[in-house]
Amino acid sequence: MSDFEIGLYSFPLLLVLIFLRMPIGLAMFAVGFLGLDMVTGGMLVALSKLKSETYSTFSSYSLSIVPMFLLMGHFATLGGMSQALFKAAESFLGHRKGGVAMAAIGACAGFGAICGSSLATAATMSQVALPELRRYGYSGGFATATLAAGGTLGILIPPSVILVIYAILTEQNIAKLFMAAFVPGILAALGYILTISIYVRLHPESAGTRPPMPLAERFRALIDVWPVMLVFLAVVGGIYLGFFTPTEGAAVGAFGTGLIAWVNGGLRGKAWAQSFYATAKSTAMIFFIVLGAGFYNGFLAQTRVPQELSEWVVHQGFGAWTVLIIILVLYLVMGCIMDSLSMILLTVPIFFPIISVLDFGLTPEELAIWFGIIILIVVEVGLITPPVGMNLFVINSMDRETPISQTYSAVMYFVASDIVRVALLVIFPGITLFMLRIFH
Amino acid sequence: MTLARIMAILGGLVLTALILLTVVSVIGRTFNGILHWEWLETLAPGGTKALLDAGIGPVLGDFELVEAGIAFTIFAFLPLTQITGSHATVDVFTSALPVTANRVLIAFWEVIFAIAMVVIAWRLYDGMLGKMRYNETTFLLQFPVWWAYAASFGAAAVAAIVTIYTALARMVELASARAILPDTGEAGH
Amino acid sequence: QDVTLKMHYFLPEQAIVPKMALKVWSDKVEAESNGRIKIQHFPSMQLGGTPPQLAEQVVDGVADIVWTLPGYTPGRFPSSEVFELPFIASDPEATSQAFYEYAEENMLETELAGMHLLAAWVHGPGVIHSKEPIQTIEDLNGVKLRAPTRVTNEYFGELGATPIGMPVPAVPEALSKGVIDATVLPWEVTTSLKIAELVNNHTEFPDATLYVATMIFAMNEAKYESLPDDLKKVIDDNSGLAFSAFAGNVMAQGDEIGRKMAVDHGNNIIQLSPEQVEAWKAAGAPVEENWIAEMDGKGMDGAAMVQQARDLIAKYTK
Ligand code: NA
Ligand code: NA
Repeated sequence: MSDFEIGLYSFPLLLVLIFLRMPIGLAMFAVGFLGLDMVTGGMLVALSKLKSETYSTFSSYSLSIVPMFLLMGHFATLGGMSQALFKAAESFLGHRKGGVAMAAIGACAGFGAICGSSLATAATMSQVALPELRRYGYSGGFATATLAAGGTLGILIPPSVILVIYAILTEQNIAKLFMAAFVPGILAALGYILTISIYVRLHPESAGTRPPMPLAERFRALIDVWPVMLVFLAVVGGIYLGFFTPTEGAAVGAFGTGLIAWVNGGLRGKAWAQSFYATAKSTAMIFFIVLGAGFYNGFLAQTRVPQELSEWVVHQGFGAWTVLIIILVLYLVMGCIMDSLSMILLTVPIFFPIISVLDFGLTPEELAIWFGIIILIVVEVGLITPPVGMNLFVINSMDRETPISQTYSAVMYFVASDIVRVALLVIFPGITLFMLRIFH
Repeated sequence: MTLARIMAILGGLVLTALILLTVVSVIGRTFNGILHWEWLETLAPGGTKALLDAGIGPVLGDFELVEAGIAFTIFAFLPLTQITGSHATVDVFTSALPVTANRVLIAFWEVIFAIAMVVIAWRLYDGMLGKMRYNETTFLLQFPVWWAYAASFGAAAVAAIVTIYTALARMVELASARAILPDTGEAGH
Repeated sequence: QDVTLKMHYFLPEQAIVPKMALKVWSDKVEAESNGRIKIQHFPSMQLGGTPPQLAEQVVDGVADIVWTLPGYTPGRFPSSEVFELPFIASDPEATSQAFYEYAEENMLETELAGMHLLAAWVHGPGVIHSKEPIQTIEDLNGVKLRAPTRVTNEYFGELGATPIGMPVPAVPEALSKGVIDATVLPWEVTTSLKIAELVNNHTEFPDATLYVATMIFAMNEAKYESLPDDLKKVIDDNSGLAFSAFAGNVMAQGDEIGRKMAVDHGNNIIQLSPEQVEAWKAAGAPVEENWIAEMDGKGMDGAAMVQQARDLIAKYTK
């Protein structure tokens, strides 16, 4: 078997293992390990790699934002803050069909504005919103799907880790990419809210409702939210005004919510330990998947499957738009089994030079930014497309009562909304570029 | 179970320490900036100087400490994740299978996991020896990198032990058809 | 027989060093071997791991060839640091040759054990890129500055700046958010990081080199030894002193591109006067003394290392 064939056959093998209930991170890790052994003709290379790979994955400064935000979420819950937040959101939206889910999307968008990672957004917001959604009678599948989709806003709304990587790979301006991502990010949030209203119309049993509250009561609920708002503003303001990096913002946020929870009396002995346990379980689960994905993608790069697959696409002699659509479809398919950062790292160096010589009627810089935003979105769709979607796993595993098949079927509505949005952005580049054009 | 909980609390305490360290560093850096404001320096030149000399500023090497600490934290978080069966899985197909088949699969993957964790801990130990041999240090604080590796290795070793225990427990569960460990979510849930 | 070599590095393929040096090298080797050697490029750490792991990866055979910076793993390559001391280097082409000869004489059996050294070079002179203009040492007072190496970090700390540690890719965001006020890098690196769009002032040291960072280009030793003699010769013919000089020259060309971007952007390029440079040099003396003492502590003759480096730089500087 050639290296290329080994790489190619690893896809179905990985899928079979995952469907046989092998833990995702372990499956990617094992396939990557064995594949590397086959490609390099022995275990030596894989074992050598493993000497430092676990440490370097787990000691990533940018990923340290994950446990900090998770802990922040638990502290917020302990301090009664998430309940207050949802009481406020619910008091304004709860009487609408699907209102609390819409509020959750809004909260995800707000959180996305301070966090550069989808997993962190999905995990933290689930911590806060999932119990509330379930309490309001939302079906497990719908609630988890809403939060999985909402989680992608973490990376669609700047700052975004993926955009930073893209900017470095393609030598583009990070600030401009962030600016361009803003409108598509807001569109994503609006699209999800629209999806929710359609979903509850089609599946009325999947969401509870109640009569509207008097206005005075709504504002009373709003006042209870001030500690959350304070922490939130400190974190958002701090990051945007340059007092700290996103990871530092996460630390400040965790510190702030911890302090409030302490003052409120929610953080004593057992509760403190419980918040550690919960943070521990989600954190280790996420990092083990990151480790597995890193190992698997290192192996895949060595087989050159992603590189040769992309080169093949280019050498078919199609027109500009056809190539673009093939690339996007390829990302969607790869997104079914690969993690987004690895996909970007492997394919952008090959796709970008090709795209940049095709004629879409844009200046080179506009083209680079537009392409970056579109693949950012497509890659993020991969986080919620079954069968392998990082956000789906993370959130589904937080709700033990809901089988993932229910999450799968509900999330397809959000995937559909994503595909409509991608189509709009592809057909009308001006949606992505108009902020840039205004400020120039 | 107790061991896994102790490790999770240990990891949580380190995480809390990193959060405090980062907050102190941010505050220090902000005040350092404020103390360099020109009008403040002209207003109270001695005062700002004294405070700056007292070391008001960011914590030196805060990035490095976060990196070293977070690695330990993740390794320390693994045992609890393992023993509670909290790793992400896809049960869409297996939920159609009988309960026994699922138990067999769970026990089998747990055994593979135990092998993987032992290999991970062993390789990390080797990695630590390499860092010792090459005298690698961090960039700013220049503490030996192998210290960080040693801390992580300690936690990884515990994770390996707990994973072996978990695998054995799952096999006993399979043989005796009774639950020892918390439920991972049985078929058909 | 035919061999395939995996070349691993941290920058994207179209960055200056991969495009203008590494690709040139591998194309020539492939051509001169009549296609019997094939070199696969794995840019942007595609094979996994982080940049500090590259040195370990080439020794362990995870990659066959790597390009990396010794400075990424402080303590592992203590003797290469002598070229990174303040104001010791001259132009990159000459300093690269000096560093290659120095590495060949002092490092092969010790710090480079397990590696077959293909080439060694340094980048161009470091420049201070700052939001507020920096002319005198006093201007550094309290400036939050990201320094690129262990030694420069100490230097700027002594000059009164507040050193802030972070990886290079984090620099643009940190500058735009005000987490740092200044960064020290050669012009070449500023191109891809778009530094010229983030700051307005650049401080140059005419006829002096604030600092350089060393770089090594190395192959797994066992892999090299396993090649038949004629293929070894193809590798040898394209490596060594000549390629080190070539790469040093690439760095100088890269600097011109980066500098031109800043000029085109209308930025303020400050060139210090010879007297001002003297003051900055004088401030570097204690750093050199500390470094010598530190090497002595490790059982190495720090003063002799500095002397040898200076002599070699003088030898190659025209
Ligand atoms: Na974001
Ligand atoms: Na997916």
